[in-house]
Amino acid sequence: MSEDPLADTGAPRGYDLQVRHLKDRAVKMGDWALGMVHDGWRAYDLSDLVVAQSVLDRATPLDQFDEDMEHAAIAFLVLRQPTAVDLRTAAGLLKSTTHLDRIGRLGFDMARIATPGTGKETAELNRLLHRMDEIVESMVRQAIDALDHDQVDLARQLFQRDDTIDRMHREANQLILEALGKDSASTRRLTGDLLVARHFERIADNACKVGEKTIYALTGQRRSEYLPRHPYRPYVLETPPGKPVGDGS
Amino acid sequence: MNPTKLRVDHLTAFYDGKAAISDINLEFPERAVSAIIGPSGCGKSTLIRCLNRMHETVPRTRVEGHVLLDGEDVYAEDPVRVRRRIGMVFQKPNPFVTMSIYNNVSAALRFNGRHSREATDRAVVRSLEQAALWDEVKDRIDAPATSLSGGQQQRLCIARALAANPEVILMDEPCSALDPIATSKIEELIGRLKNDYTVVIVTHNMQQAARVSDYTAFLYIGKLIEFGPTEELFERPKEHLTEAYITGRFG
Amino acid sequence: MRFDRHARRKWFSHAITVLAGLSVLVVLIPLASILYEAASIGGPAFSPSFFTQTSATPCSPTPGHPCSLGGIGPALQGTIILVGLAGLISVAVEVAAAVFATEYRGRGLGRAISFTADVLTGIPSVIAGVFIYTYFVLYDPTIVFSTLTGALALSVIMIPIVTRTTEEALRTVPNSIREAALALGISKWRTTLQIVFVTALPGVLTGALLSVMRGAGEAAPLLFTAFGSRIFFQGLNKPINALPLLIYNFAESPYQNWIELAWGAALLLIILILVVNVLSRLMIQRMVRRMRGQ
Repeated sequence: MSEDPLADTGAPRGYDLQVRHLKDRAVKMGDWALGMVHDGWRAYDLSDLVVAQSVLDRATPLDQFDEDMEHAAIAFLVLRQPTAVDLRTAAGLLKSTTHLDRIGRLGFDMARIATPGTGKETAELNRLLHRMDEIVESMVRQAIDALDHDQVDLARQLFQRDDTIDRMHREANQLILEALGKDSASTRRLTGDLLVARHFERIADNACKVGEKTIYALTGQRRSEYLPRHPYRPYVLETPPGKPVGDGS
Repeated sequence: MNPTKLRVDHLTAFYDGKAAISDINLEFPERAVSAIIGPSGCGKSTLIRCLNRMHETVPRTRVEGHVLLDGEDVYAEDPVRVRRRIGMVFQKPNPFVTMSIYNNVSAALRFNGRHSREATDRAVVRSLEQAALWDEVKDRIDAPATSLSGGQQQRLCIARALAANPEVILMDEPCSALDPIATSKIEELIGRLKNDYTVVIVTHNMQQAARVSDYTAFLYIGKLIEFGPTEELFERPKEHLTEAYITGRFG
Repeated sequence: MRFDRHARRKWFSHAITVLAGLSVLVVLIPLASILYEAASIGGPAFSPSFFTQTSATPCSPTPGHPCSLGGIGPALQGTIILVGLAGLISVAVEVAAAVFATEYRGRGLGRAISFTADVLTGIPSVIAGVFIYTYFVLYDPTIVFSTLTGALALSVIMIPIVTRTTEEALRTVPNSIREAALALGISKWRTTLQIVFVTALPGVLTGALLSVMRGAGEAAPLLFTAFGSRIFFQGLNKPINALPLLIYNFAESPYQNWIELAWGAALLLIILILVVNVLSRLMIQRMVRRMRGQ
């Protein structure tokens, strides 16, 4: 008993391999969901029905990923009776798959409403939506990487970016509501934009939730311990965004 | 956290001059179950045996420090009196082989003072009920204790300890010699005991500690590494060593 | 090849079994012949008066004048009294000694007692008699030859036997029983006497039985102490007879009737020891079975 019990003996234990395996599944699912978001936006933006269809076809495998992941996590829980970090990791992954599923689903929703023949929104609005997509996809990538490589700080950085997306969402709403009613040809398109802007906000939120679970797994802290809850108010009562938000962080 | 029933103060215990536990400081809350876990040889049995002064019944042992029961040092008192307030159940069931079930349970009453037959009868029934054994033995209360199964014998030993009317019950790996069904019966009974007694249980089975205890202490090579509410210790341990042990990554 | 080895092993095993059987016979034959002699010569001496009367005057029968036999009453009584008394003395000493030896096992006093008992079991029985004799010659010569000294001499033989067996019996009581009792707040001495000792009782009684059989059969210690007598018990301070002593004295006499009495006494002694042995063993076995819950 004179050796340091914490020293790394080199060979990974079966236990550690199982945890790694669970994470790998989650990463694969995350990549799949991210692909659905990326192509879903593209399909909507360019009104491309072929791309849209490919996204819709990816929904069933997404469900399967979700089921498999849940099964694997529960098997790990019952067979290994994990404690501490392993328990938190398994429990966190169990919840994260729900969020990853949501993310994929939101890409699906965007592809669903791809409609050729509708007008186009203003360049300003289009740029804003593109920017939102960039940030949101990057956030999802960030959440997956933090989970994959046990990076707490990477996960923590998600929350600021979520705030940025919230601001952009509000701004997009503003622009859309102003544009609606002026030109009926683009009403359809603008309605779609409204939905899509909201989807982006939801994707960002779900990416944050995945980040929270990574932080919980590695540190045991829950969100309320490191992030103050800011009070919510109806949009109409919030200070309107002063200038267009060009580049979030 | 409930008020402290049993406080361990800078306790060090020696076998043949070598310290098996060093400078342990710990407070066991009353009417709660506290578990002591740790790898083999970490001193958990030594620690618990110091609480009711059984450690010193072995030759060439020595104890330094204090154990305070309700604020009074048990090492300043007559050990026999201490053991009437702090009872113990051992790893292997050890009923008195020459005695019947009734005589086993009533042993403390019969040997430690005079009690009327009725009072003894009542105490025996009550203890056997508390130990969830009454129904199984009520028709053969005068049968030899050795006619019971292992799990029943251990519950008999628990009833015997309870009949002495202690305030604290110490259990040194009480289920390690038993099958899963007998084990779960005893775990259930421990859960009920904490309403009336303070229980300290040593176990090498972490899942048992998680199931049964409100507080857990982790010992390693004779030192206390961590002590806290069981849920916290198993979900979010404070010490790396604790986490390494409970996740099975030791060595 | 393999068959060969197998057959050889079987043959060898059979041979050893036969050899073992023969050894048993070799041991049994003398035993059987002693019994036979005792029964054939001593048997006819048995009669109600044999057990109750004192022995007759020594004589050898001449044709026409058969000698009367009398009986061995005093010797029988003496054996019972001496062994009983020695037993009482032994028990007192032996319980204390054995308890001490086990409870202070590691320390000096306990080891000393154990060691002493071990050594004394080997003592030649005549020395026991001489020891008591010498002591009383110096202390109170008037009772040198008495029931008291006889009993003391026997107990010198008996005490080490019982002490050792009691100590062994106490030691085989598992420590868990002691711990269980101590953990209940039962004091150490109560634990030892009322729990550990009681648990060891079968072993203790077996030891007591062994010592009684030994005491009943010893003649040497009584030569210089009890001394022997022709009459019944007169008092603790007066000499007394015992079966082995009678056998010793009468067997080497030239008188026919005395020789018959000696054989009768021998047969009686053998029967007594056998009966006591069997009965006690049965009793102890029953005790053990009851403890084991069968």
